[in-house]
Amino acid sequence: MSNLERAPRKSFNDLIYDLIFKNYVWQSIFRTGYPNTPRNQMLAVATNVFLHLHPTRIHRTHVKITHTYCLGGLSFFMFLGLTVTGVLLMFYYVPSVERAYQDIQALESNVRFGQLLRNMHRWMAHAMIILVLLHMMRVFYTGAYKPPREFNWVVGVVLFILTLLLSFTGYLLPWDQLAFWAITVGTTMVGSAPVLGDESKFLLLGGFSVGPNALIRFYTLHVIGLPLVISIFMAVHFWRVRRDGGLARPL
Amino acid sequence: MVSRAAAAIRTRPRREREAEVLVWPDLVFIEFISALIFSIALMVLSAMVNAPLLNRADPDTTPNPSKAPWYFLNLQELLLHMEPAWAGVIVPTIALVLLAAIPYWDRDQDGQGVWFGTKFAGRLTVFGFTAATMVTSLLIIWDGSLHVIWTENIIRGLGLNSDFSWPGGLDWFRNLRGFDTGIPWESLGFTIGGFTMFEDWRAIPLGIPGTTTDPWLLNLNFPSFLSQQLIPVATMVGLPIVFVLFCKALGWIHTRRDIALLIFSAFIGVYLTTTIVGTAFRGQGQDLKPPWDIVVLEE
Repeated sequence: MSNLERAPRKSFNDLIYDLIFKNYVWQSIFRTGYPNTPRNQMLAVATNVFLHLHPTRIHRTHVKITHTYCLGGLSFFMFLGLTVTGVLLMFYYVPSVERAYQDIQALESNVRFGQLLRNMHRWMAHAMIILVLLHMMRVFYTGAYKPPREFNWVVGVVLFILTLLLSFTGYLLPWDQLAFWAITVGTTMVGSAPVLGDESKFLLLGGFSVGPNALIRFYTLHVIGLPLVISIFMAVHFWRVRRDGGLARPL
Repeated sequence: MVSRAAAAIRTRPRREREAEVLVWPDLVFIEFISALIFSIALMVLSAMVNAPLLNRADPDTTPNPSKAPWYFLNLQELLLHMEPAWAGVIVPTIALVLLAAIPYWDRDQDGQGVWFGTKFAGRLTVFGFTAATMVTSLLIIWDGSLHVIWTENIIRGLGLNSDFSWPGGLDWFRNLRGFDTGIPWESLGFTIGGFTMFEDWRAIPLGIPGTTTDPWLLNLNFPSFLSQQLIPVATMVGLPIVFVLFCKALGWIHTRRDIALLIFSAFIGVYLTTTIVGTAFRGQGQDLKPPWDIVVLEE
């Protein structure tokens, strides 16, 4: 029994490392080791459902900030943030004409961080519109809509429209003067469409003017209808980015 | 027959491994940092600025001015200058369809993946944006009759004529509606054969006489059609054409991509100008006002 025959003693850091990354539970969640070797780094991306939106390797120019300014990714990040804050807001909000305004007031004064939550949701919504617009400009000015990416540009235009509609339907929900009259002005514009104007406006509002029916329609579209539709289009959009060969670069 | 798109994929050069980086950590790190920066920035903004909440909605109290959400104020701005059907629905629809159609029209592979990829892209972008912004602002000033007020004030202010007012002969140039009200249309009526088509400019029967019960065959109010539809639409169609011809004459346009750059930049200019004017420069009754003079009244 000689000490010399034993394996070399592990350092403290290695012990901690093994304890965290080489135990049974960790390895049941993350199949790969800690991504500190090229092999593990690629596996980490390829075997993770969230990260596998990415390829494992990309061209050097694509990680240059000035090539994309992260605008598309940030638009998606805003969507995620809006979903999280939106779900939390739904705990406190009832879409009825009697309660809606009261609920927003209560959220601002009685709920801890309620005002912050509402502010986050609102400013993120504005930020998303601006980011989507800037993303569209980035794609245009880098000529990234050219073949083979024609269709993904069309999907992008649809996503832009859906973003505006999501924001517009959310605008009514606080049921204050700002909301009410903005939606009145907005839906009047819809009503001026030739041939189907009045019908479209009626369909949107569930009546001839903004009232309880409009509130429940806008709410339903805002919290489930449009998010579902936009999620589908986003999935197609991201998928097509990969399928069409990643980011555009000179041929 | 291989489609163009498929051919484009196939002709990509073989990957050069040296030119590639790993997504983890190179890209994931950037994504994480940008998400972090935005989270912090929005958190700080939300801690400092509260989302607006006015009085409870009241259908009987109309705020003056009433405005749509800011991202639709460009359309609300258009609404002041033309027939609502054009401003609120037809123009945005056509604009979005044209926007979506760009890649099917400009299929050239040149300049792909590079900022401002053509030789004159920078100039076209700056020119398109600046010229469109200026022309839009001038058109808004003109339709807001600011040139009338300014001319009157300047002539009175200089003491040239202390009670000068815009000459009646130039009433047609007060604003867009001046074409409707400032010209004696009634006196211009005439008859073609036995068909008294133009006996009254304000009610030209459309279609076959005697069938005007059909809503599609209502009378056409010609002067109003001119000021609310013909001139605005001709302007929106004509100005881009003028822009393109002008840049072509300067030798800046060689490909469809150049035209797309010019028109897209002009579109961004118009989009921004109308949004800013609609948001910050429209007071009561949608009159043009500097931002600090805008008060919302509830009526």
